[in-house]
Amino acid sequence: MAGLLLSPTEKVFIVHGVQDDHRSDGRTNIDYRPMELETNVVSHATGSSRLRLANTDILVGVKTEIDVPTPEKPDLGKIEFYVDCSANAAPQFEGRGGEQLAIGIAKLMQAAYHSSDAFDLKQLCIFEGKQCWKIYVDILILECGGNLCDAVSMAVKAALFNTKLPSVKAALMDGGNIDLQLSDDPYDAKSLDIGTAPLLVTLCKIGDKCVVDPSAEEESCSVISVVVGVTGNPSSYSTEENVSDSAKESKFTTIEMVGSGSVAPKTLKDAMNQGMVAAKLLDKALGEALLRERQETQVKTKKHSYGFLR
Amino acid sequence: MTSHVKIRLASERVNHSVPTNRELPRFYTPGEVVTGMEDFMRGHGTYASDDCLKASVAGVMQKVNKLICVRPLKNRYVGEIGDVVVGRVLEVQQRRWKVETNSRLDSVLQLSSVNLPGGELRRRSAEDEQMMRKHLQEGDLISAEVQSVFSDGSLSLHTRSLKYGKLSQGILMKVFPSLIKRRKNHFHNLPCGISVIIGNNGYIWISPPEQNNLVEEEKDEIVNVEVQCISRSDRETMARVRNCIAALVASKMLLDDTSIMFAYEESLKYDNVKELLDPEAMLDVAFLTQHRINNVLEE
Amino acid sequence: MSSDFNVKRPGLELLSSQGLRLDGRRPNELRRIQCKLGVFTQPDGSAYIEQGNTKVLAAVYGPHQAAKSKSLQDSVVINCQYSMATFSTGERKKRPRGGRKSEAISMQLTQAITTAIKKELYPRSQIDVYLEVLQADGGAYSASVNAATLALIDAGIPMKAYLCSCTASIAWKDGKPEPLVDVSHVEESAGGSVLTVSSLPSINSVAWVDMSQRLHADYLSVVMKRAMQGCRDIEVILDKAVREHLGESWTMSDDAVAI
Repeated sequence: MAGLLLSPTEKVFIVHGVQDDHRSDGRTNIDYRPMELETNVVSHATGSSRLRLANTDILVGVKTEIDVPTPEKPDLGKIEFYVDCSANAAPQFEGRGGEQLAIGIAKLMQAAYHSSDAFDLKQLCIFEGKQCWKIYVDILILECGGNLCDAVSMAVKAALFNTKLPSVKAALMDGGNIDLQLSDDPYDAKSLDIGTAPLLVTLCKIGDKCVVDPSAEEESCSVISVVVGVTGNPSSYSTEENVSDSAKESKFTTIEMVGSGSVAPKTLKDAMNQGMVAAKLLDKALGEALLRERQETQVKTKKHSYGFLR
Repeated sequence: MTSHVKIRLASERVNHSVPTNRELPRFYTPGEVVTGMEDFMRGHGTYASDDCLKASVAGVMQKVNKLICVRPLKNRYVGEIGDVVVGRVLEVQQRRWKVETNSRLDSVLQLSSVNLPGGELRRRSAEDEQMMRKHLQEGDLISAEVQSVFSDGSLSLHTRSLKYGKLSQGILMKVFPSLIKRRKNHFHNLPCGISVIIGNNGYIWISPPEQNNLVEEEKDEIVNVEVQCISRSDRETMARVRNCIAALVASKMLLDDTSIMFAYEESLKYDNVKELLDPEAMLDVAFLTQHRINNVLEE
Repeated sequence: MSSDFNVKRPGLELLSSQGLRLDGRRPNELRRIQCKLGVFTQPDGSAYIEQGNTKVLAAVYGPHQAAKSKSLQDSVVINCQYSMATFSTGERKKRPRGGRKSEAISMQLTQAITTAIKKELYPRSQIDVYLEVLQADGGAYSASVNAATLALIDAGIPMKAYLCSCTASIAWKDGKPEPLVDVSHVEESAGGSVLTVSSLPSINSVAWVDMSQRLHADYLSVVMKRAMQGCRDIEVILDKAVREHLGESWTMSDDAVAI
């Protein structure tokens, strides 16, 4: 992504490593680097999260607004993704340098969340045809160490998990306008249903094989990556058991190829299968981490936010 | 077998600092008076103002005879003549290459400072000038020695020795230059069977044995070796060394052949190399290495 | 008549009868400052600072070879970019930078930072300082300057002294003016004028001053004095953080002693 310069022989070393299923840091082709997660890090946002994957650092803030639904879809709310590549991550991003990369990722996220199997916009409806919630998911990329898409999608899901919409106490009809009264009580709020929210998995084609979680060096050895969006399993995100089987099933919500190369149909199929397996593992691990954090928060009465201080 | 995906919470973060049994030195911070002006010379990291010498960086004072310096925890590489560096070719220019060496200005490798194929000392012809890109192209990594420092602080390099020159297959790691321990020798063939070049500029090159410096060989052979597959066991050892260095760096420990080898030996209790990516394992390796270094120092 | 009264005494309601501010601080009390150096691995230097609810990240790249068009023969080029995360303010921001306001702040930052750096040491080089405001709750510019100072120190870039920045405003108690240090967002929006000072406290020099809205010239000196005192207080806090950071990270002492 960022213009990393490698010598031809370094590339040979990386390509052979992938062929051998033994990468430069000892990972196999299906291993992710260690991740670290924290939610509720930005107090000005309704929900937020920070995810660090090796040295890729993503901060997500969710903001909500009341909006009017579109006439074609009166019962649906709105969700919008905005990505900003901070110049802190790389000097090339200064000014509008990171814009193309940012728009690419935002589009991928929008596509992945488009399906109702992935994220049900009905839960954002307040008054059919009149008022709905609009969710802004603002993604800030603070450091790039490869594999942005996967990291972004996980951070977004964590931030949405952390988001609570205030309850509507009363609504006053005044002519055609509706005046809403929202609850001030921070505990009188409902969580979003994000169990099925999709995760993106990047399969980076290096040589003839695909790897997950490419490092920045590996990304520069590859001419084409396949990004798949796969719905999550709600039972990993709640302790309740009443989840329908159809929701548990993982589905592809988006498939996109990024890069200038091309792939054989068989490689694409293999990549998709590999992506599905990886997405299930990621989703399960993310759910476990989020529930573990929630439990920790409940044990300690006041949550200590680590943020960037430690 | 550890799982493929691991997510920890911020509350479970590992603190990488390793206790040393040494006393902390006296620190100076920017603007602090280091000493009066009498009889002292102003070195790096200091400046003269109001008849005293003040620190301009945060770090530790060093005194060599009358010269006073303050050395920061980390900064860009400040080259000295004779240093071994690893660098990347950025640009091929008229009779010289621009090389990135983690310095504050790009370094220069003159056409007259390299050994051209054939090896004999001869005048550089116009033909050589046209063949420069064949010799070293953009992106290539080289090991070199600092030949001289220009007045603006940029470095002039040379590769006129068999041990220097273009690097073939391997792994490059970048660390702060201040973590590199100055030694007589920066080329090491580790007992575990791989070689490392610990560049003074903080760039470390890990490669399988006898893969370096192919410049002197026949042209056909070079191409061969450059694309040759590296054996699985060499690859594993290289990855282990890489992860050990990363563990030492995370705990901000000095790097030289001894500390790397200690870390390597301590890491062997983790069978799978990728386990060393785990922060706990990294801290464990760094801690055990520090312990061994302390033992050596006490003896 | 009543409007005239308001204009004359804009900060009337900023102090309680006990002399405490809206968030319970005394007039000369800073918000809680917490900071950390070296938060990221890729930049040459980085830092994070929290001043109350204002949170800023700073990253420094360089000194590195300056672009040919910018390069100066006898000094370093400082390049700053100030950016605010879209979720950093109460109302969502449409875009993080590129607006006139953020461009202006970038220039002001460049100016303040340039005064503090020993720029003659690095001919033909460039230093990039990038600031990212994660949460803005008053004094984002000041927090950015303080974060930049820490990031520059983390990168080992020579400076004359700590560059610190602090805001001050004025309130009224029993008809007497009482300057307020380190103004929060609520106090800012309550209407008084805010004076922002960037200074090098240990060599007692002012690097940059900005004043929003008007303030009677008679009161300028007291407000200025309070802001300068704020800078001095902040310097003490930053210095402590830098020393703690050095103590935690300094494992190479044997080398220092050997020479």
